[in-house]
Amino acid sequence: MKLLEYEAKNILSLSGIVTPRSSIIHQNDSAQLTFPVVLKSQVPTGGRGKAGGIRIVNDKDSLQQTINELFELSIKDYRPQILLAEEKLAISHEYYLSLVIDKPTAEIRLMAHINGGVEVEENPQDSFLGMVVSSEYMVGSNNNFEAAGERLAEYLNLPGRSFVLQDLVENLYKCFVTNDATLLEINPLVFTDNEKFVAGDCKMELDDSAAFRHDWKFEDKATEANFVTLDPGGTVATIANGAGLAMATVDAVSDFGMVPANFLDIGGGSNTETLVAAFRRITEYPNIQAIVINVFAGISRCDEVARAIIAAKKQITNLPPLFIRLAGTNFEAAADLLSQENIPILATLEECLAAAKQEVPS
Amino acid sequence: MPGSRQTRGAVVKNTLFSAQNVIVQGITGGHGHFQTKAMLAAGTTVVAGTTPGKAGQVVEGVPVYDSIADIQKNHTVDTTVVFVPAPFAKSAIMEAITAHIPLIVCITEGVPIHDMLQIKKRLAGSGSTLIGPNSPGVIVPGVNKLGIIPANMSLPGHTAIVSRSGTLTYETMAGLSAKGIGQRYVIGTGGDRIRGTGFIDCLELFENDPEVDQIVLIGEIGGADEQLAADYIATSVTKPVFAYVAGHHAPVGVQLGHAGAILGSADESAASKTEALAKAGAQVATSITGLIELIINNFC
Repeated sequence: MKLLEYEAKNILSLSGIVTPRSSIIHQNDSAQLTFPVVLKSQVPTGGRGKAGGIRIVNDKDSLQQTINELFELSIKDYRPQILLAEEKLAISHEYYLSLVIDKPTAEIRLMAHINGGVEVEENPQDSFLGMVVSSEYMVGSNNNFEAAGERLAEYLNLPGRSFVLQDLVENLYKCFVTNDATLLEINPLVFTDNEKFVAGDCKMELDDSAAFRHDWKFEDKATEANFVTLDPGGTVATIANGAGLAMATVDAVSDFGMVPANFLDIGGGSNTETLVAAFRRITEYPNIQAIVINVFAGISRCDEVARAIIAAKKQITNLPPLFIRLAGTNFEAAADLLSQENIPILATLEECLAAAKQEVPS
Repeated sequence: MPGSRQTRGAVVKNTLFSAQNVIVQGITGGHGHFQTKAMLAAGTTVVAGTTPGKAGQVVEGVPVYDSIADIQKNHTVDTTVVFVPAPFAKSAIMEAITAHIPLIVCITEGVPIHDMLQIKKRLAGSGSTLIGPNSPGVIVPGVNKLGIIPANMSLPGHTAIVSRSGTLTYETMAGLSAKGIGQRYVIGTGGDRIRGTGFIDCLELFENDPEVDQIVLIGEIGGADEQLAADYIATSVTKPVFAYVAGHHAPVGVQLGHAGAILGSADESAASKTEALAKAGAQVATSITGLIELIINNFC
């Protein structure tokens, strides 16, 4: 789950990391602000500054106009529900600091760059500082952040600041772990004229799997892993179970010279209601000529899928032709159910694709 | 290290072929119960199971205990299959590591990443090997079933399959069985970003087992595992390898079902991974049906 900047900064601030003084503006709010103020569009995407989503307002006269413009401005198809109003920082220098999970080693890694800001990714990889900070990562253990602080101070060429940086790394690390973050990036990390480190911008991603142990109430950004639109103009919709088989089904449709519209993994515990909902979403694509269903049931059951298909055919009138391949657990029961409704099952995915191709104008 | 000590791979191999002294953690739950029955039917000797607070119950003739320590008063335990819900998976796996169980197979989906980071730390200094989480498990056809891979579609033989995807594992196994091409091992490593056993551990096991004639590797977009596997194949694998990487049409930065299946940088793409595997000497396909055909056409 990707957080918006203001959500991420709330978490940072609760973790003892300094953020700019700020307030939130909703549409039609009357804002009481101190000038100059920086207004930032809260959209779940990068490249906001270049798109005009960050504006500095120097006086009350132009405030409302700017607020209206920001709410109207769509950035990569996202329009903000909220603006973040922040004090304008007196910037002495901008650094880059992040914590990431290094998957192959299963360690938490701190990354830093002496020149932060929007162009940070242009810097060569070897000019970043990277160090593992999770070597003692165990519940209740005392990490030694002293060495991390010293090394960071040396790299950033800030001798005499190692204690401050040690605190920063420690707070950042604790923030990362206690919030089940998978990415925490402060860019820029602003060093102000009065010599304080302040988080200028923050990107944070949290692990959805850990939601059970948190009281998360973040704005819904509708990121859904199991239903993904690949090409809204596609001609063939796909339904499969298991992420791998769903990806493979999309690959096979494309190998057959057709355009897959979507990726859909109905998972192991599919019920009729969610499947019918998925069928409804598919019928919203304008060019769908065929639906390919490819299920190999291991932990799931074919007959449940068959019941859902029958329900969908009854409930949705404009359903395009279905090409169904089922295999695995409870196949016979599924075959019985579908044959009673005169819905054919094809033996292989290739047969489904060949039949679907007849429906698709080339 | 003493010369007499077995390598981790040898321990895993012996454990997989013994099929004895298997326990199920979370045996009284829906999946735990259903799959215990299926494992017993496939010839696996499930000697006991755990569910805290349910000691004394019996599931499919298998006695239930509160903890692994209680089981170990009566039984030797070689393998545990974990079905406990994700919020409790970390403590279940930690319990198994503490109990020195050589092989831990975790089926549970949705284990938090930070829990896995802690588990990996504990595993590193232990004698335990973890397969999973979010894994369909392992089948040694005709001998042993640890997890949820449907045994009736497997066939004993000399092909070894390793895959990040459960359903593609079944698909390939069933496709080969239908043509009389049997399997020595079928292993699902699981679809998560941080997991126990990976491709390289399995490739090493397959390469060192004289009963394995050919290897099938099924990858996905996201991460660097297939690139690392390609490096290992180039340097250390002499047997024929057939490979398919799912997700040729994946959009960048979007998660496709599996937690680990996100296309980030270009070298995490299916095309780039496929190319690396081909360069390493593997025969590659761009679809799952193509993969199965490729293996069948090369089988003599």
